[in-house]
Amino acid sequence: MVGQKKWVPYVLLLPWILGFIIFKVYPFISAFVMSLFKTRGLTSTYVGFDNYASIFTTATLEGADFLNAMKVTFIYVFLAVPAILIVSLLVAYLLSRKLKGIGFFRTAFYMPTVLGANVAIIFLWRYIFEDEGLINQFIMLFRDEPIHWFATGAGAMTSIILLRVWQFGSTMLIFLNALKNVPDTLYEAATIDGASKAKQFFSITVPMITPVILFNAVMRIVESFQVFNGPMLITQGGPNNTTNVINKVIYDTAFAGGNLNLGAAMSWVLFVIIMVFTVLIFRSSKYWVHYAD
Amino acid sequence: MKKSIALMAVLMLSISLIGCTGNQDDNTITFAWWGTASRNTATYAAIAKFEEKYPQYTVEGDQYAWSGYQETLGNQLNRGSEADVFQVNYNWIYSMYGEDYFLDLHELDLDFSVYPSEEHDPLTVNNKILALSVSETGYIFYFNQNVYDEAGIETLPTTWDELISAGQVINANNANKYAVGRVDAQAASMLLFTYLSQKYQKNVINEHNELAFSEAELVEGFYFLDDLINNGVINITDSSPDGPSNPKWTSGNYGAVMTWNTAIAEYQDSLSVGTLVTGGMLQQHAGEALGMYKKISMAYAVSQRVGQSDAKKEAVKTFLEFMTTDPEAVEILGVDRGVSSILSVQDILENASTNYTDTLEWQGHFIVQELYDYELSMDVNLYIHPYYEHATFRKFYENIIESFLTAGKAPAIAAGQIYDGFNNYLATYMEG
Repeated sequence: MVGQKKWVPYVLLLPWILGFIIFKVYPFISAFVMSLFKTRGLTSTYVGFDNYASIFTTATLEGADFLNAMKVTFIYVFLAVPAILIVSLLVAYLLSRKLKGIGFFRTAFYMPTVLGANVAIIFLWRYIFEDEGLINQFIMLFRDEPIHWFATGAGAMTSIILLRVWQFGSTMLIFLNALKNVPDTLYEAATIDGASKAKQFFSITVPMITPVILFNAVMRIVESFQVFNGPMLITQGGPNNTTNVINKVIYDTAFAGGNLNLGAAMSWVLFVIIMVFTVLIFRSSKYWVHYAD
Repeated sequence: MKKSIALMAVLMLSISLIGCTGNQDDNTITFAWWGTASRNTATYAAIAKFEEKYPQYTVEGDQYAWSGYQETLGNQLNRGSEADVFQVNYNWIYSMYGEDYFLDLHELDLDFSVYPSEEHDPLTVNNKILALSVSETGYIFYFNQNVYDEAGIETLPTTWDELISAGQVINANNANKYAVGRVDAQAASMLLFTYLSQKYQKNVINEHNELAFSEAELVEGFYFLDDLINNGVINITDSSPDGPSNPKWTSGNYGAVMTWNTAIAEYQDSLSVGTLVTGGMLQQHAGEALGMYKKISMAYAVSQRVGQSDAKKEAVKTFLEFMTTDPEAVEILGVDRGVSSILSVQDILENASTNYTDTLEWQGHFIVQELYDYELSMDVNLYIHPYYEHATFRKFYENIIESFLTAGKAPAIAAGQIYDGFNNYLATYMEG
């Protein structure tokens, strides 16, 4: 009887395994195979790594776009990830306090994450930043001219970074849980020794939660390198390609431009970039992450 | 245990593959198109009429918005899941390798004498007619009369100089108002090439598939755009997207739109302040009629899958003939896909119970035809080259024009970059 039930866990896992194979493993491998071919209509020719070579040259339009997109995506990641980590840690720190109505505030701060960067929210975001939008209505209380957010690279980049930062709820919840696990005795001892709140935060709180900071940093870096919705729907990659991120170039190349082979090669390059950054941050963790023994 | 797992796997695979099977019913026609709400309503009404008239057939309509349609169709063609009949842009027969995926319409045995032959030519590759033209369209001006009235301008401009003078008056009168308005790189490129075509009577791309303009001529074109920017004609600081939903357009701050005459309905529908007037194409000198670019507006293509069954071919042929020439269908569809060049269809629309002849599409269509005929009489054929609007190639010149518009790139540098790269990139994408 017991022996007969051994298969049950496998059957229960089967939908996930099938989904993983069909929607993750198969596209992952087939994208690599596709990236080695050049297809014209119904005719495919093996070209080896030619598609990869054409990504890293400004001689092709797609290559020039991709190299620019790498720069844009790095800027996005290097600005968005620290901003998310700092904002979510600070808000989590505030919400870890025993305040009246704290449940309401926790729910309120998590709400944007529930809403997500879906199409409706993105259009709302676009309207908020437009010349006659909510932000400019406020700004024009103090000056005559609105800020043309989407007319400059810095303004457009700011708008899509803020959209990402606005959804800090999940990161904040993970920090909140980590903060609760920092032993009170450490703060009590520090208080007795005369340490200020700021000193306690940087010398006790931050070192104690470095494993969680590492986790959040890795997750947000992986996620931010794959940003698409905001640049696609809010700025359309503009102005002047200043928000044209890698994923949008992949989409434009593969689907609008119809070059699936080159798009597949670009996807693999993006995968390698993310892998390199993930490995680097893990390697660096031995210098700044403290694990309790 | 192994048997159970295998059984489960087969069952799940079977379920997942159900969605991949094609429709085997020869009397059911699937039809996909992009369009606005009014085109969707008219199309479904025409489909209902078709099913009433030909009860042996069923049509499954599949509407899309313009945004994302090309990408979706490209994916469907790759997977072989495209509709039996699908609306296409004329240039997709090249960029989507239509010869590999679209049925040669000769196979349907349509009576092509009904359809004007000049519309087949751009859709014919190696003697195969890969799509059936629905209408032609031209890039012209439509003015918001109110903006000009408010500034005390009694006569709408007909030349570029008059437009620039109007821009100065309108913008001085109200700094938020412009003689034209928001212009993106796509529209700016059309302005630039229109101006140069008028001046030098050359198409953008010549018969050798090369840029027809010299570097010095391009510089001149950029200085022309500069004049429009500096004289209240076009607004380069508006950060809302160009198009019918632009807030400054809808609120009546922009004096004109330069667009395809088949696309004007959206601008008219979204305009809450003002009245649109069909303006045609502005000229270098009064009395001229040059510089209007024309192309096939849209066409119906047929999946190669249809060619596998005679019954299906007959069904699709009946449907295509109905949609393009049947008097009842023509009246229902009106001018939502532009005005057909078939004279008998135009007669039906002229005598229809709905007054189509007063629509901006109708007026635009005949202005476009007049301008085009005049251009041909001057031995100038400004027909959009099929690769001019290629999704990737266009980014080459549009990116340069955008950086001129919004990042202050100098005319000489912008012109030099277009001149240096145009032919090379065009050849690359034409080779595929």
